[in-house]
Amino acid sequence: MTAAAGVQAGARELGDRGGGWRSRLLTALLVLPASIWYLFLLVLPLAIVVIFSFGVRGARGGFTPAFTLDNYANIFRAVGVDPFINSLWMAAAGTVGCLLVGLPLAYYIATRAGSRKGLFILLLVIPFWVSFLIRTYAWFLILDPQLAVAAVRDLFGNPDFNLLGTPWAVLIGLIYGYLPLMVFPLYVTLERMDRTLLEASKDLGAGRWGTFRQVTLPIALPGLVTGSILVFIPMMGEFVIPQILGYGRTFLVGNALYLDFLEFRNWPAGAAKAVVLIAVMLVTVTFYLWFINRGRRTREASVL
Amino acid sequence: MTDQERIQHIMRRPINRRGFLSLMGASAGAAALAACTSPAGSSPSAAPTYEIENELLTYNWSDYVAPENIETFKQRFGVENFGYDIFANNEELLAKLQGGATGYDIACPTAEYVAGMAEEGFLQELDLSRIPNMQHINATFRKTAWDPEDKYIVPKDYGTTGIMYRKKLVPEPVTSWRELYDLTKGKYSGKTVFVDSMGDVFPFPLKMLGYSLNDNDPAHLKEAGDILLELAPHVHSLDSDTYQVKLANEEAVLCLGWTGPIVDLRADPATADTQYIVPSEGTLYWLDTWVLLADAPHPNAAYAWLNFIHEPEIQKIETESNGYATPNDAAKALVDPEMLADQAIFPPDDVIANLEGSLDHSGVQQRADIWAQFKANIG
Repeated sequence: MTAAAGVQAGARELGDRGGGWRSRLLTALLVLPASIWYLFLLVLPLAIVVIFSFGVRGARGGFTPAFTLDNYANIFRAVGVDPFINSLWMAAAGTVGCLLVGLPLAYYIATRAGSRKGLFILLLVIPFWVSFLIRTYAWFLILDPQLAVAAVRDLFGNPDFNLLGTPWAVLIGLIYGYLPLMVFPLYVTLERMDRTLLEASKDLGAGRWGTFRQVTLPIALPGLVTGSILVFIPMMGEFVIPQILGYGRTFLVGNALYLDFLEFRNWPAGAAKAVVLIAVMLVTVTFYLWFINRGRRTREASVL
Repeated sequence: MTDQERIQHIMRRPINRRGFLSLMGASAGAAALAACTSPAGSSPSAAPTYEIENELLTYNWSDYVAPENIETFKQRFGVENFGYDIFANNEELLAKLQGGATGYDIACPTAEYVAGMAEEGFLQELDLSRIPNMQHINATFRKTAWDPEDKYIVPKDYGTTGIMYRKKLVPEPVTSWRELYDLTKGKYSGKTVFVDSMGDVFPFPLKMLGYSLNDNDPAHLKEAGDILLELAPHVHSLDSDTYQVKLANEEAVLCLGWTGPIVDLRADPATADTQYIVPSEGTLYWLDTWVLLADAPHPNAAYAWLNFIHEPEIQKIETESNGYATPNDAAKALVDPEMLADQAIFPPDDVIANLEGSLDHSGVQQRADIWAQFKANIG
């Protein structure tokens, strides 16, 4: 369905519900900017990426129109599937990490922070005022073997302890960089939670863990799903963090894409990798959603 | 000139090698095409004497010509107005020419960009009979890969890609690519950093094996690739932006890189032991050039300048002023011996013949595959 058709369908739906032509016009006008945005900045670029992925590299780089499947056949030739596997692992670990840090934080802000709620939210937002690149370079200093990490090193008495240039540094950077995207959706769902449900659960004999598992978690689930997807998808394509904090040693899909587009100037090869990356993400996210929903259904059944 | 002065001179123009290498292909790939395309402007008629105009307008990197030479030129040729506009990088120069900037006589692109500029008709072919001082230019910098027939380029100055190391921490002699290979694989495994640039790293195995760095023979590339892949696990990291930090904090002790950071490293007492050497097998060099623009309004003054600047005495002043190696042999003979001995500026005499300029190889699939594998296996 094209965006324009979408606008019409949306307008028709609203119109049918009782508004006249004026209401329909208003709806169309209001949806128009978003549709244009969607069309020109999502659908068209995506189409271009797909078209490019069937082309060939121009003599001086870039793209020359053609129809070949070579770019897809060659995706794994040089470096194999490793970048994709590394990215999947990193993004999955980063998402779990964000969840482990973000859920207690969101829970605390939503239920325990009281009048300081606003302050905490502000503190979460403030880092966004500083460039992402600068915040990542800040970790470069924090993890510097001669500064903060030295203290930890002395504590463990291991002179070779180092984080920079390891996957752990990348993971720390990922969790730090994307944490707010996990906390906000969780906060919103938890904030709306009816606290009396917790008391009811306690009255009915559930322990703390039981209450969390059977009441809090299902309520937080929509936020958890949104947050996970919000952090997982950009982590899959992350390039800057592994390059800076991982010294480029943790080779992710983002690094492979960078090579194709900027060093080899082979746009079609990069486009093919990008298409495959999108496919991998679609499959992963679909599976994730199916898994979560399946869990919810069985739980509801068990409650019944 | 004291060390401090030289440091200041070199500091004036930190070259972003990565920037221009990444865009090399925008022009370098066109070398072959450019060789058979004639530019829009034609050569000036060969009249025996020329009326020097009273104006010369140049477009250059900032502080890249010795002010006293400009004064001498103005006085000797009666040029009243010597214009000196500056650009920050080659892309800016190209963009301005593409935007229709006219009125300049002379510009100073890096050699990789010349073929593309010629192809787009921005340059005129040089009449070398009007630049007799070209005879002083070393053969390495004549008929280069970028300008095989010497049609457009008057070489200005050049620099190399080489090996930087901490003398204090690496007592072994480091004079060649072979030694870099042995040390990286052996004693200093995990303590070598390479610049993150395919065009600068490939010359290492190729020159070590005795091939041209522009060699694309599949068997030779295979050999070079095997060396790189063998070394990959021993390489600390690929880093073009902060390798001097890694050398300074001793995370790395050896480095395949550019001369830029050596100035800062030497200036700091803690890292003053940093050395830069040009490998004896030869290496890659970059070349900044003088070119004559197609629609130069003052061609006679421009020719006068191009010849003037390569007079040995004048060129010596240029070299000592801007701190880069001169391709002019007669001028080099006059340069301060201390500066001549510094490999961060001048390669040793016996290596100069083995220096090579690089064409754009980013489209060579075998190189791309090796580089991707190399990158994926670092550390």
